[in-house]
Amino acid sequence: MKTTFQKEDNNLVMYFEGRLDTAAAPKTDQEMKVLYDCDGHDIVLDCTKLDYISSSGLRLFLSLLKVAKPKRSHVYITGLSDDLRQVFAMTGFTNLFEFK
Amino acid sequence: MNQLSPHGEVLMEQYRESIPRFTQLCGQVYDQLSQVMREQGIELNAIEHRVKTEESLAGKLERKGDKYRTLADITDLVGLRIITFYTDDVDKVAAIVNTLYVVDWDNSVDKRKLHQLTSFGYNSLHYICRQKEGPLSDIPFELQIRTALQHAWSAIEHDIGYKGAVKLPPQYRRQFSRLAGMLELADDEFSRLRTTMTDYRRQVQTLVKSGQLDEVPLSTDSFRSYLELHPFERLNQRIAAVNQAEVFPASLMSFLPILEHFHLETLGDVQRFVDDNADDAYRLALSQLAITDLDILSENVGLQNLCLAYVLKQGGSRDEIIFVYDQLNGRHASNASLADAILQQAASLPFANKVTQQ
Repeated sequence: MKTTFQKEDNNLVMYFEGRLDTAAAPKTDQEMKVLYDCDGHDIVLDCTKLDYISSSGLRLFLSLLKVAKPKRSHVYITGLSDDLRQVFAMTGFTNLFEFK
Repeated sequence: MNQLSPHGEVLMEQYRESIPRFTQLCGQVYDQLSQVMREQGIELNAIEHRVKTEESLAGKLERKGDKYRTLADITDLVGLRIITFYTDDVDKVAAIVNTLYVVDWDNSVDKRKLHQLTSFGYNSLHYICRQKEGPLSDIPFELQIRTALQHAWSAIEHDIGYKGAVKLPPQYRRQFSRLAGMLELADDEFSRLRTTMTDYRRQVQTLVKSGQLDEVPLSTDSFRSYLELHPFERLNQRIAAVNQAEVFPASLMSFLPILEHFHLETLGDVQRFVDDNADDAYRLALSQLAITDLDILSENVGLQNLCLAYVLKQGGSRDEIIFVYDQLNGRHASNASLADAILQQAASLPFANKVTQQ
């Protein structure tokens, strides 16, 4: 699992690549902490190269959402494959995030 | 550049030396007020606070410097303005202020009561206060309390400058009067509306609690009250048990347009919708989740599956399923593939055997 962080057009963007499973979650959790300093900037989670997301991965996204909302930052998820989008749908999480 | 008298210069020097104390007091009162209003559940439009600028004080001293014997006679060096949404809350906030601080009644004024029948203008409550104790209790500060509409009136009045040297012709004064009257009326009506809405909510809550759901039309307020009964909790727990999942809290209000689209008109209709479709919603969720190890679910999951199961049982089309997802997720091209996946899942479920893929 690999993440890359960039600031693009005033947005905080993180690219995810590989499998975000239970084994990868602790390291990814640390890497995502940089997004917690969002302070009103929008966050984009680019999942174009994400192959798999487990419950642990969903929890990381939800934790980020909990931090970002009070700071008036939007969390956008982009590039989700149909399979991964279905994971969000069947767990009822699609309407918590904004998809691009 | 202001020309100050020697006495004015002395006051100005005292002011400069006192700025750190003024700033401290200003921040302290702001924090106190913010906290107390929050604790009392009073929603405010804003609390503004400022220490009078040197430029503004110089203007004041130049105009009427002789009036002030000491700096303490100038009561608005520290000023705060509490802007409420409703006119009822002005009095409520004033009562709270009265308990928090020592109010100098001789110098405080309720400008709302000063209006003559023929006058125009629309003013607020001005209190001159002091802290009850502590090192800053010697400094007076001014507290203005007004509604958002009074605030808007005051800002526009200031911008137009009708209080300036030029006396306005009667036709314009009349225009001001009409507007002031209209705003006062609007303030009163907003307060009345709030009271009416509160009464309505109480009635709805009473009907919901007593189980008279057929008497309650489906609306934003009534649905919110209904949700307090946790009508989907049992279904959510059943679904969560599939993978021993944790249920993550979420708002269910986004489902209201879908329920209205299903022509559910009362909370009784919603309850029957739940009772009639809960088993099938569970089966639909089971068919999706059992083959995964997903152990975190949103609180939406029960109601979402209820809606999908309902559409499927009605012989629902792909478009109807897309409609559900569009309402929940916003319009997105991928909602079509979600709909296709549901139709595929549903093909193996007995309750949905009437489904026709378009």
